[in-house]
Amino acid sequence: MSGVRAVHPWAEKPMEMFISESGARLALLMNPTGQVFAQHGFTRAVDVMAAAALGAAIVSSTAEITKMLREPSFSMLNHQGPTHGVFLSAFESPSGPMVLLVIYGRESSLGLVHLFFEEFVNELNEANPAPVSSEPVLAADFERELNQSLASLFQD
Amino acid sequence: MTHQLQGVLDVLTRVRGVQGAMFVARDDGLVIAETLMEGVRGKALAALAASVFGKFTWVSGTAKAGEPRFLHMQCTEGAVLVLATNQDVLVVIVTDTNTNVGLVRLEMLRAGEVFA
Amino acid sequence: MDIQALAREFARDPDSLVFLRLGEGLRRKGDLESATAVALSGLERYPDLPAARDLYARLLLDASRPDEARHVWETVLQRDARHQGAHKGLGFLYYSRGDLDAALEHLETALAVDPTDQSVLQAFQLVRTTARTIEEDDEEPNIFAGLEGAEHGLLLVDDAGRVLAGRLGGNANTDEMAARVAALVREAERTARLLDLGKWEWLIAESASQNVHLTQPTNETCLVTMRDRSVPPGRLAFLAQKANDAARGWLEGQRP
Repeated sequence: MSGVRAVHPWAEKPMEMFISESGARLALLMNPTGQVFAQHGFTRAVDVMAAAALGAAIVSSTAEITKMLREPSFSMLNHQGPTHGVFLSAFESPSGPMVLLVIYGRESSLGLVHLFFEEFVNELNEANPAPVSSEPVLAADFERELNQSLASLFQD
Repeated sequence: MTHQLQGVLDVLTRVRGVQGAMFVARDDGLVIAETLMEGVRGKALAALAASVFGKFTWVSGTAKAGEPRFLHMQCTEGAVLVLATNQDVLVVIVTDTNTNVGLVRLEMLRAGEVFA
Repeated sequence: MDIQALAREFARDPDSLVFLRLGEGLRRKGDLESATAVALSGLERYPDLPAARDLYARLLLDASRPDEARHVWETVLQRDARHQGAHKGLGFLYYSRGDLDAALEHLETALAVDPTDQSVLQAFQLVRTTARTIEEDDEEPNIFAGLEGAEHGLLLVDDAGRVLAGRLGGNANTDEMAARVAALVREAERTARLLDLGKWEWLIAESASQNVHLTQPTNETCLVTMRDRSVPPGRLAFLAQKANDAARGWLEGQRP
């Protein structure tokens, strides 16, 4: 049984492949506003919400810093802890900008995550031909959309 | 330093049958320096060779065999050789099937001295 | 000297080493509470004295606190690697836990320290007899019988990380080893596939004290051959090939 839960079916297979090959423990596919499309490894909705919000905040704040420095925006960040690594990468897709947050353990490595991340992006872009509506996210809609997404991610 | 590493790798790739030589970060599996023939996927070689070596490190630890030093993985169409240096850097080589592994190993030991 | 006399002597001179004999006397009499009080009192004055720690460890074992007893004996051995009492105690402790190899190791050392000690000799013979009986009762055939290192350097595992046959020497955890080897094999397979190197055939690796050879008698199994570093890789590969043939023959015989 796959541990991947996806809001959109096109995200499921590339995520499954990425998880299987990279050996990642947790993964979250979302857009830069924190709207989640797929997840693996999270058991509680509240953890998904927290991780999505923090991931989106890191992407956003780092983008601002690079803007101030007049540097190109970052493509990936990695934090290596003693037992876990945290990998965060923003990339373009037909649905607009996407963010992948990955937590990996010592059975994997940054090299493996990075290697299979590139394949993941290619597969995701092939599987996801139709642009998703890019209307601005209104605060009133955000909570409803988030709840719908979480319901999809944790349904049996 | 980069220039020096590249020079050391160039020597390694002159051995007959060697298709690629790299220095790889042991924990991360990321490329530090590489000299590769066309068609060799450097990033994949670095990540996978470091991962194989990492998995062997666990085997070696479980067997109480001590710190791993050298690994030779023979395949039907080539081989991967990995040598651990003193500074968490791996020397990684990919060869075809017609290679004098003993000679390559000696050159790898020499290459590893850069990190001694 | 009887216990009363020892107690008087201890009361007169608490700094003397008589507490060792008094504690042991009380222990043998079954008065563990008093014996422990005497031992702790002695340890306060002589915290590093191996004999005092040995006495205390025996009392802990009597009080059904084996893990603490083991810890105390191990600290004794850190100071005096040939302390007979500690080896004897650990031998008994491991025997009671069913770890006959470890028990024999400690009792052998205890016997080497004093070969005339009848209690150690008897314990050693008892453990050895038990170990032999278990070995004889073990109906599992050694599929590597007749091969060099068949008893301690060959292990056959399946792709799910389970032991099929053989064993590794020393204190290696065979079950954990099987799981680790299966993970390594999966990574070797993937590496060969993704790097377009065909199929992986074998792997040889050198560690600080051992050389390890991995090969696959069948697609679903892996054979581990381990030898001391003094065995050169070429010879190791030769030994592994012979073991590989034996394993393949055995596996074919297991098919329904």
